[in-house]
Amino acid sequence: MTLFLALVLVVLVAAAAAYLARSRAAGLRASGGGRLNSLPGYHAAFAFLWAAVPALLFLAAWAPIQEQLVNGAVLASAAGRQLPDFDLARANILGEAYQLATGQIAAAISPDAARIAPVYREALGRYGLIGGGFALLLAIAGAAWALTRVRATFRARSGVEKWLMGLLVAASLIAILTTLGIVLSLLFESLRFFSMVPATDFLFGTQWSPQTALRADQAGSSGAFGSIPLFWGTVFIGAIIAMIVAIPLGLMSAIFLTQYAPARLRSVLKPMLEILAGVPTVVYGYFAALTVAPLVRDLGLGIGISSASSESALAAGLVMGIMIIPFVSSMADDSIAAVPQAMRDGSLAMGATRSETIRKVILPAALPGVVGGVLLAVSRAIGETMIVVMAAGLSANLTANPFNSVTTVTTQIVQLLTGDQEFDSPKTLAAFALGLVLFVVTLLLNLIALHVVRRYREAYE
Amino acid sequence: MSKPLIQAGPATRWSGDEMKRRVARRYAAERRFRALGLAAVLLSLAFLAFLLVTMIVRGAGGFSSTFLTASDATDPAMAGVWGALKGSMLTILVTMALAFPIGVLAAVYLEEFARRNRWNDLVEVSINNLAAVPSIIFGLLGLAVFLKVMNLPRSAPLVGGLTLALMTMPVIVIAGRNAIKAVPPSIRDAALGVGASKMQVVFHHVLPLALPGILTGTIIGMARALGETAPLLMIGMRAFIAAPPAGVTSPATVLPVQIFLWSDEVDRAFVEKTSAAIIVLLVFMLMMNGLAIYLRNKFERRW
Repeated sequence: MTLFLALVLVVLVAAAAAYLARSRAAGLRASGGGRLNSLPGYHAAFAFLWAAVPALLFLAAWAPIQEQLVNGAVLASAAGRQLPDFDLARANILGEAYQLATGQIAAAISPDAARIAPVYREALGRYGLIGGGFALLLAIAGAAWALTRVRATFRARSGVEKWLMGLLVAASLIAILTTLGIVLSLLFESLRFFSMVPATDFLFGTQWSPQTALRADQAGSSGAFGSIPLFWGTVFIGAIIAMIVAIPLGLMSAIFLTQYAPARLRSVLKPMLEILAGVPTVVYGYFAALTVAPLVRDLGLGIGISSASSESALAAGLVMGIMIIPFVSSMADDSIAAVPQAMRDGSLAMGATRSETIRKVILPAALPGVVGGVLLAVSRAIGETMIVVMAAGLSANLTANPFNSVTTVTTQIVQLLTGDQEFDSPKTLAAFALGLVLFVVTLLLNLIALHVVRRYREAYE
Repeated sequence: MSKPLIQAGPATRWSGDEMKRRVARRYAAERRFRALGLAAVLLSLAFLAFLLVTMIVRGAGGFSSTFLTASDATDPAMAGVWGALKGSMLTILVTMALAFPIGVLAAVYLEEFARRNRWNDLVEVSINNLAAVPSIIFGLLGLAVFLKVMNLPRSAPLVGGLTLALMTMPVIVIAGRNAIKAVPPSIRDAALGVGASKMQVVFHHVLPLALPGILTGTIIGMARALGETAPLLMIGMRAFIAAPPAGVTSPATVLPVQIFLWSDEVDRAFVEKTSAAIIVLLVFMLMMNGLAIYLRNKFERRW
């Protein structure tokens, strides 16, 4: 019995239980057994949940266990002991045997797979029968128990609502589990990386050349994992160049849209500006690489910078800045709107012009909110991947020349995890260490920004 | 005869030439500032227009019946977006099937049932943080958990959808909470008053009224997931796939990843294909965002 068949059977049992419960409850009502506490539909739902949920939970837990058991049984068999010890090759053969045993493919390429397929099929059948049978028993037991509870006085609705409450709590737990999953997987892989490469070398080294770690027999095969150049490149593109573009444009746009534009013009311009935020980053990346980068290089060559690269930091930063404009603009918009009208009126009544009011009164008052918004924008910019992967370079340079090529943390993560190399090499694990740094930095930026914004909101409320 | 309160004539500071010059200067500054603001908006929009025009000019020639029905190929003349489009649809389907129910249920729990205690604060903080975590981090999570620990197939829409669902869920939770918050308490009081249980209040009254707002947020989240590339690269969706995926577990590519792969091709003919694929992607994004705006305008209620 395959687990899929068990799944279908469980659902069928649950459906049958629901139908029985419903007709029983309806019968109680028809036979005048008193007023029902809960509608027949709730009795049906109660029976369905008790029949299906425990059995399905068991199946979900059983599936990975069965995989282990089957693999163990196959490897312990006479044919299985002859398989190569090498993990990758063995996994390939096992995968093929699995497909052969379940009928996904008609014939195997490797003779080993064909030989162990019958063993595989037998083990699969045996453990499937155990797991599937137990799940089915659970379903029938749950259904029977629920069916005995169908009475006029039984509060089926509260029972169903308890299940629903459990579902709600479970849904909210997913968020915590995701956060935990991120932290644990990044930490775990990073710790393994730091057991191969000292953390101080990683955090403070200035030499980045992980590609040399490709072959184990090479001299200096450990590669160089000093990530200072990556941090600098990330800051240079995301926090300096992009912000030089995004802050003035975003702030002035917000000022114009909130303070000057008539309502109708605003209702047209604001959604158009927001399209900028909706364009996928891969489109920006392509635009940066194909259109902006050559322009920037020509500009660099034109003003006499001979080292101007076609993968310049400027092109990537420029396009990233454009992407961030609507973000900065809407954050500035919010904080300008939060400045009390009385301050504005006071300034205007003193005879200040609108621009004077904006520059001398509104902006200083809105500054904490704007700063918070900029921090959020920086956090988004340094985590942005596709623009820099496509438009920024791969060479880890420590340079402040915007026409030169720099590389960023996200670019290197993508680069390190490209292709099918083994999972345990320092090269692959370095990507997780970089991810950890990125995660921590963006987290801190977000926390600081939220704190700043909240403090500032409280000041005017 | 008493003196007039304000003395007219050249003797006051308020009517001299110096004063006129000052006022003129301040008004000039005012106009300059205003023009600067308008220029900032127009410059931003000019970038957008430049981007769109570039893509249309480069990509318009790339459309053909082959392009819309074929999958990836080494020969640019034979390459098409159908395979990637189908991959995108399957991935988004998985994402939606997971993120929408979980997101809505979590939003309902946090807004209607959660007591303020440390545990629920933790849930809230982690949701708000997840919404700001860079997308590539979700890719690393998908690689470490779905591929390495759970041994799910590489490059499959199932894994892509799972990863994107984790990324989209916080967005839906936040939109859902705002929509639920906007439903006035009088609705709840009325339902409770006629004897509905708390669950019935939420699922029969609050949720239907909040649904348009939730859907708007969900569509925007889905549009973002549709355009996402980086996390999918992490879970191996960067292989050359020459056939449309048969199901959620077969190897697939998605539209943004296809654009990324084609942008790396040396063959100049792929420039046209890449731009054409970008137009297809943008049309889908525009349609989804348009739908969200339509829903918002049609169903949004001010209480």
